[in-house]
Amino acid sequence: MIETATGEILSSAEASEEKQSRVFRGLYGIRTAIWEMWAEFRHEWKRITIASLISPLMYMIALGWGLGSMVSTGDRPYIDFLVPGIVALSSMNAGFTSVGMSFSTQRLYERSFDQVLISPTPIPAYVFGKMVGGALRGIYTGVLILLLSIPFGATININGWFFLVILLNGMVFASLGVLAAILAVTHADISRFSTFVIAPMTFLCNTMFPVEKMPAVVKEVINVLPLTHASSALRAIAYGGMPQWYNFVVLAGYIAAFVVLITIVLIRKSNL
Amino acid sequence: MIKIDNISKRYPKAEKYALDKVSLEINTGEAFGILGPNGAGKTTLMGIITTLILPTEGNVYVDGEMITRNRIDIKRKVSLVTQHVSIRRDMTVSEVMELAGRLYGMPVKQIKARTKDILEFTGLYEKKKQVARGLSGGMQRKLMICRALLTNPKIIVLDEPTVGLDPHSRRKIWDLLEMLKQKGITILLTTHYIEEAQSICDRVALISNGRASEVNTPDNMISRLGSYTVDIYDGITTKSYFFDTKEEAIGFAGDIPGKTKLRETTLEDVFLDRMGTELGEKVK
Ligand SMILES: Nc1ncnc2c1ncn2[C@@H]1O[C@H](COP(=O)(O)OP(=O)(O)O)[C@@H](O)[C@H]1O
Ligand SMILES: [Mg+2]
Repeated sequence: MIETATGEILSSAEASEEKQSRVFRGLYGIRTAIWEMWAEFRHEWKRITIASLISPLMYMIALGWGLGSMVSTGDRPYIDFLVPGIVALSSMNAGFTSVGMSFSTQRLYERSFDQVLISPTPIPAYVFGKMVGGALRGIYTGVLILLLSIPFGATININGWFFLVILLNGMVFASLGVLAAILAVTHADISRFSTFVIAPMTFLCNTMFPVEKMPAVVKEVINVLPLTHASSALRAIAYGGMPQWYNFVVLAGYIAAFVVLITIVLIRKSNL
Repeated sequence: MIKIDNISKRYPKAEKYALDKVSLEINTGEAFGILGPNGAGKTTLMGIITTLILPTEGNVYVDGEMITRNRIDIKRKVSLVTQHVSIRRDMTVSEVMELAGRLYGMPVKQIKARTKDILEFTGLYEKKKQVARGLSGGMQRKLMICRALLTNPKIIVLDEPTVGLDPHSRRKIWDLLEMLKQKGITILLTTHYIEEAQSICDRVALISNGRASEVNTPDNMISRLGSYTVDIYDGITTKSYFFDTKEEAIGFAGDIPGKTKLRETTLEDVFLDRMGTELGEKVK
């Protein structure tokens, strides 16, 4: 019995001696990381979907219906102001959480990242795949929220640029998630990161009220944060206009900076 | 050939070296065992060979070429079964296999076909849709071995692969390793079960406190200690005495009143002897 099976399980031993270039490995590595996130999503999609709808729903009820009736935001209803902000903050959360939580679990607790490190997949490619996967999760969440906003009577303009901004925003925070995950010493570090970095941005960055209403100093700080630019860009498009060019530059700049930081950490850290 | 050249490792913030100038050579197609007490540095060494852990000093060469994290061509040929369970618990058995295959750049079709063969062989096939979280510890370990075989390694590194397995599964793994040996795959094995090393390994290295003290075949190690053992129980502890011939051993045992036992020396005796426990002494 062992004899026959022996032949089988090692049969293709010599035949499969693939010669693959570094570029191919890199692209395949990106795909592998995205596939891994897709497999994760397939198992968890119900939970992910419900979880990503809860707080947006609360914001829309509490702020859109509740507070919104008392707020004036120019000539458009407050819900139109609010929805792009919620799309921005939700795609931020989706990008960060989908990568940060899962990657740090894989690295610190389940230790399946060990298999990535020893595999021939280039680590930067794998990590880049995670960023793309996180951005796609941002888009998924963004679409859910747009659907959710329909019964709330939001009338906003959506086009390709809208999704490009979500993609960039998701990528900014997915790369922040990667960075947090590779720097984390314990799993709790990720939650802490969430509390200190992600949560404040949720409320401050031009999401629920205009930055203009803030004191000057605070405004300066808020204006350099990436989520501010994502919200502003999304709102501009939602109102039927075009975002400022520097919105894109800032988002792209953050992605580039995080990629550089991630690369440095990956090179420096001998024990991932 | 794997050449471990003067490897030292000190973990960040650690006081002492986990490995201290270890040099070993493992021949192609050889089954090589690494034995040592807990904390000796076995896992660290296995990690360094597979680039999971980066050494503080020294290099590892595979067929004359230095292995680093960037040498994807060499890494393609190496599989590692880690001491801890290192699988995604949220994935199904077949997804765990697919992820490994993809990480090694295998075409999906090939992954699927080989996964079926390997899972059938190890009896995990009917669990292929089961999520890893729900597998028993033994099953998870088996899955790690399946995963290591999926990619057709030329070198397979196993860090205590049979820990926690029941005797039956352990035997099955031994058969599997025997089979890999016959296929000319280089096997590097650390184990708690010294009997495992004795039956599988062509040569073993003893390491303790981060230093490799002795490399030899199990038979040579045993005959150097003395092929026959007399155990004497004095009411408190058992002491072992080693003899080159059976006659000598019988002669010695016959002179001793009380409980004595004559048996063949095992690698475990060598291990205990070298690791400086006070259990035995050699009478010549
Ligand atoms: N990540 C780590 N950080 C600090 N020290 C470590 C780490 N891993 C192992 N060590 C230390 O290195 C030594 C060797 O450990 P290890 O290689 O796991 O031994 P073994 O596998 O032989 O039991 C031990 O003293 C252990 O405490
Ligand atoms: Mg160990």
